[in-house]
Amino acid sequence: MDFQIWTFYLSQILIYCALALSLNLLLGYAGQVSVAHAAFGAIGGYTVGYMMTIHGWGFVPSALFGMALAFGVGVLVSLPAMKLSVEYLILLTLAASSIIIGVFTTIKDLGGTYGIISIPNITIFGWHMERKSDWVIPTLGVAIIVFAICWRLGESAFGRVLKGLREDPLATQALGKNVFGYKVAVFGITSGLAGLAGAMYSGWLSLATPGLFGFAFSLTIFAMVIFGGMANLTGSLIGATAVTLLDPILKRVIKIEASRASVIQLIVYGLALAILMRLRPQGVLPEGRTIWSYIRRRKPQTRMEMITEDWVPETKVVIAGGHEADVREQARRESRWHGAPVVLEAHGVSKSFGGIVAADDLHMELRKGTITALVGPNGAGKTTVFNLLTGFIPPDAGSVRLNGKELVGLAPDKVARLGLVRSFQDVRLFQRISCLQNVMLAVQQQYGENVGRLFFGPLAVARREAEVREKAMDWLRFVGMSNFAEIPAGAVSYGQSKLVSLARALATDAEVLLLDEPASGIDTKWVDSMLDLVEAVREQGRTVCIVEHNLHVVGRLADHTYFMELGRITAEGTIDELTNSPRLAEAYFGTA
Amino acid sequence: MILAANVSAEAFAQLTASGIFAGAAYGLLGVGFALILGVTGRFHFAYSFTYTFAAYMAFTFWDRAGLPFWPASILGILVAAALGVAIERIVYRPLAVRAGATALLAVFVASLGIGIAGENVIALFWSSQSQAFGGRKAHFTQDVWHIWKVNFLNWDVYQTVTGLVLVLILAALLRYTSLGRQIKATRVNPDLATIIGINANTVYLICFGIGTFLAGVAAFWYGVQFTVEPSMGQRPVIFAFVVAFLAGTASGPVRVFFTGIALGLVEKWSSMWLEVRWTNTAVFVILFLYLISKSLQGKNLFGWLKLARA
Amino acid sequence: MEPPDLSAREEAPLDPPGAVKQRTQLLSIENLNAGYGKKHVVFDVSMHVGEGEIVGVLGHNGSGKSTTIRSVLGVLPPFGGKVIFRGEDVTRRGSRLNVKNGMALIPSERFVFQDLSVTDNLLLGGANDPDPERRAQRMELVYKLFPILRERAEQLAGTMSGGQQRMVSLGIALMSHPKLLMLDEPSLGLAPSVVHQIFDVVRQLADTEGLSVLLLEQNVGQALRIADRLYVMRSGRILLEETVEQMKARDSYWDLF
Repeated sequence: MDFQIWTFYLSQILIYCALALSLNLLLGYAGQVSVAHAAFGAIGGYTVGYMMTIHGWGFVPSALFGMALAFGVGVLVSLPAMKLSVEYLILLTLAASSIIIGVFTTIKDLGGTYGIISIPNITIFGWHMERKSDWVIPTLGVAIIVFAICWRLGESAFGRVLKGLREDPLATQALGKNVFGYKVAVFGITSGLAGLAGAMYSGWLSLATPGLFGFAFSLTIFAMVIFGGMANLTGSLIGATAVTLLDPILKRVIKIEASRASVIQLIVYGLALAILMRLRPQGVLPEGRTIWSYIRRRKPQTRMEMITEDWVPETKVVIAGGHEADVREQARRESRWHGAPVVLEAHGVSKSFGGIVAADDLHMELRKGTITALVGPNGAGKTTVFNLLTGFIPPDAGSVRLNGKELVGLAPDKVARLGLVRSFQDVRLFQRISCLQNVMLAVQQQYGENVGRLFFGPLAVARREAEVREKAMDWLRFVGMSNFAEIPAGAVSYGQSKLVSLARALATDAEVLLLDEPASGIDTKWVDSMLDLVEAVREQGRTVCIVEHNLHVVGRLADHTYFMELGRITAEGTIDELTNSPRLAEAYFGTA
Repeated sequence: MILAANVSAEAFAQLTASGIFAGAAYGLLGVGFALILGVTGRFHFAYSFTYTFAAYMAFTFWDRAGLPFWPASILGILVAAALGVAIERIVYRPLAVRAGATALLAVFVASLGIGIAGENVIALFWSSQSQAFGGRKAHFTQDVWHIWKVNFLNWDVYQTVTGLVLVLILAALLRYTSLGRQIKATRVNPDLATIIGINANTVYLICFGIGTFLAGVAAFWYGVQFTVEPSMGQRPVIFAFVVAFLAGTASGPVRVFFTGIALGLVEKWSSMWLEVRWTNTAVFVILFLYLISKSLQGKNLFGWLKLARA
Repeated sequence: MEPPDLSAREEAPLDPPGAVKQRTQLLSIENLNAGYGKKHVVFDVSMHVGEGEIVGVLGHNGSGKSTTIRSVLGVLPPFGGKVIFRGEDVTRRGSRLNVKNGMALIPSERFVFQDLSVTDNLLLGGANDPDPERRAQRMELVYKLFPILRERAEQLAGTMSGGQQRMVSLGIALMSHPKLLMLDEPSLGLAPSVVHQIFDVVRQLADTEGLSVLLLEQNVGQALRIADRLYVMRSGRILLEETVEQMKARDSYWDLF
């Protein structure tokens, strides 16, 4: 075999690896579908071609400049991508790709449809690239750099937020993460890395042409990532290698005639993609698995055996009493509520949707170290209140003050960072990451969420990451789920996921917690354990508000209860006072 | 410079005519794609493959199997429609059932694979060279018509008229027949459709059949006018995506069709101000601006919450 | 089908669970378990509905009422248990066959095809009936029950008031000539007078057509007005089964919820 030819393939593999790795950070970790990755590579490639042939720049500054340009364009493209669903994201990146390549194709200085075809004499740090085989070292260097960056970003606190973004952007925002900023950052960074790889590609081939970076190539890179496994960087290396080597294997090993081989190659990889989706949609190397784990035949932990009928959480929390409060106890709690300082105050909050009033002039107070309940018939708008308080739905009028600070007008993540965190009725755990990672994601102000610190303060990052892990583990222990720390959240039972979601809310350290039906859907055998936990949270001095249909739960937990009907709060007091009112009974159960 | 010189009235009329003709093809493709995506939610990228396949099958039945021109063409298009139905039944449905919430991406990837593989299977069997489809045996000759100072090719007119007629038939089908109501019901409220006993799976297959058939007709006319080649589906189908999304995938066929014509007009008219090589990009710039405006007005978060919960 | 004797109903002795019922059973659910994915929602639920009987199922959100009827219809395959309808085991049979066989369900939300006209909505309900004459008859019946729908025949269902949309939904269900109607919180979001009107129609259909109804409600008052018998569900289980009289005799419903 010809040495030159195999080094040629090796360089090609390395460049494809760099492209696939960077796309994986975007697609696999952050869940942002992009079919424009080759076009971002084109920005790097054309910059190298243009700056070197027209302006006589050196290769290295040209490549860095191209990378910066690609970063900038990536940021621009990310801005409209914010609120778009998958199909529109495909369309947006398709448009971006067509525009970028279209512009390059039409600018005369860039060679039009022919592109830039003779990039001269490349020197990298004083080393002349005379033969193609000289390129192995620089392309290897770039592949390693890109791998290192993607690994550092992906497998860190930063990457954890990216995965949250992929799984459930709304829940991520509810935990106080600036979803917008992360999206812009990941688009920018991955585009920049694609630009760098594109610059190497053009330098290596001495070419920058529209065909080289066309839509078809974007799809190929996309396929490499899917094939190798999303959110698995080693998988991307495998994907890029497999796709590249298909060509020499067909041509040189099976010895198919060249033009036929390129056709068969595409058939093979197209079919492989379709079959893979059917048989192994998570890719050759699924998220979280290493080649080692296959060699040593170590199956990932599932602990399915623990999710049995008679499972109960091993919480250390035991609250004396543990039954519904009688009238005297209720009166005592009510007076405690009145004596406690107001933490959160909603005043005159209103909201209507197209003429339908969802909330009408709401006034409510949450007081320190107490549990306030919000009850009312179906469709009264209780969950809407949570959405209004936390900024997920901006109110039309009124104010919400947390310790005197106005929350209306703030984004939900900002509200969460100020100390008001809500849980969701339908739990919304991040399904494909472990229970522990779910809780770790909730910890505020993480050192490793900052890109700069990840690279320039590795020791501090590692130390802080260990702290975050320990803290998250403590909360999992608190809810009795520490045995499930490494299990993906999607694999635990519904009731258990409610416990993890409580741990997640607690790990934010928020002063005020809004819990949407904390006890619904939980096995009756340990529903009391869940209520014990909520009471324990109150004992910690936190302020809790629950929405609950089950009035026994309310009777057990609440210090003060608001009654809501048709978007209005119409009564408040102890649960006994409310249930003794004939009028409220009528509102709740209707009249004959 | 980018800006071109003044345009005469004749040139304007000619551009308008060619815009309508080109747009009618985009429109027809867009109608088929919107029907598939809007009702079934499948991002059917292999649409370009079934498009190309229709033209090749018509060509094969006519040129190789020796059938008469029209039966051969119709048979070819129907075979392609059957292929579209088969893809939904054999590939997409089982995938979507398995993938659940991430069905859209899984179907998109599989569709991408089928599209790439299919295009190259065609290249393997028929060669990757382009082939004359209609011209050779002069079964269907080119004819130039003049109206005022505008030149029309007879093919252009036939193509536009068949497109319009098919779109109107589809619109009538959706409006006046039980099947059409079931299709619309499945698009508007799939859950309720299942509850009242509509078989969504069957509706999906029918939509794939109709959508692929429409694309096949467009491919047939393309083949008649130009030549057939394995990659002939790529560009028109991307335009079909653009048309379907600009019109809204839930809108009726007539609206989608005229959005296609509007896009054709934009593409041709823009050559009055832009050099021709910029016009293709102009279409995507419009798409990009549309997406920006969409993300700005956006779904508000309430809509988002509701969507996420449903 | 015996003509309903309202006075007899008033004095009907309590049916102890398990005793032989006087009515012919139309539907019986035996030890049904159901849920969504890993979320087990309904536990060992058993119910039965006789011909021409209106059975109320009371309970708050999340008590498993909707999940139960979705499993009965077949849009949600049950985890376990049996559904017997018209003497046949129909467990895990698809909704299409069950609808043909005489089941109808109206969900609590999104219960009309918003972008379609009233007529189209009704025609969709009758789509499984091959006989155009019978379809026309059914449509006439729906228009007679709800004259407003005839006036608004061409209006898009999504643009109508909540009460009118409820009527459309009832019309869709009636078009399929059901033996069993499963209503999911039909009073939700409606003014009491509208609820009253709609419930009267349901009672009338049960009496004149022998329609059996499974009425899921949180609005105890309205349900008591038309129901023959009641179940109360909580946390996915049946808490109790009572006659209307027993339920009316309670001084408070709070402890049931």
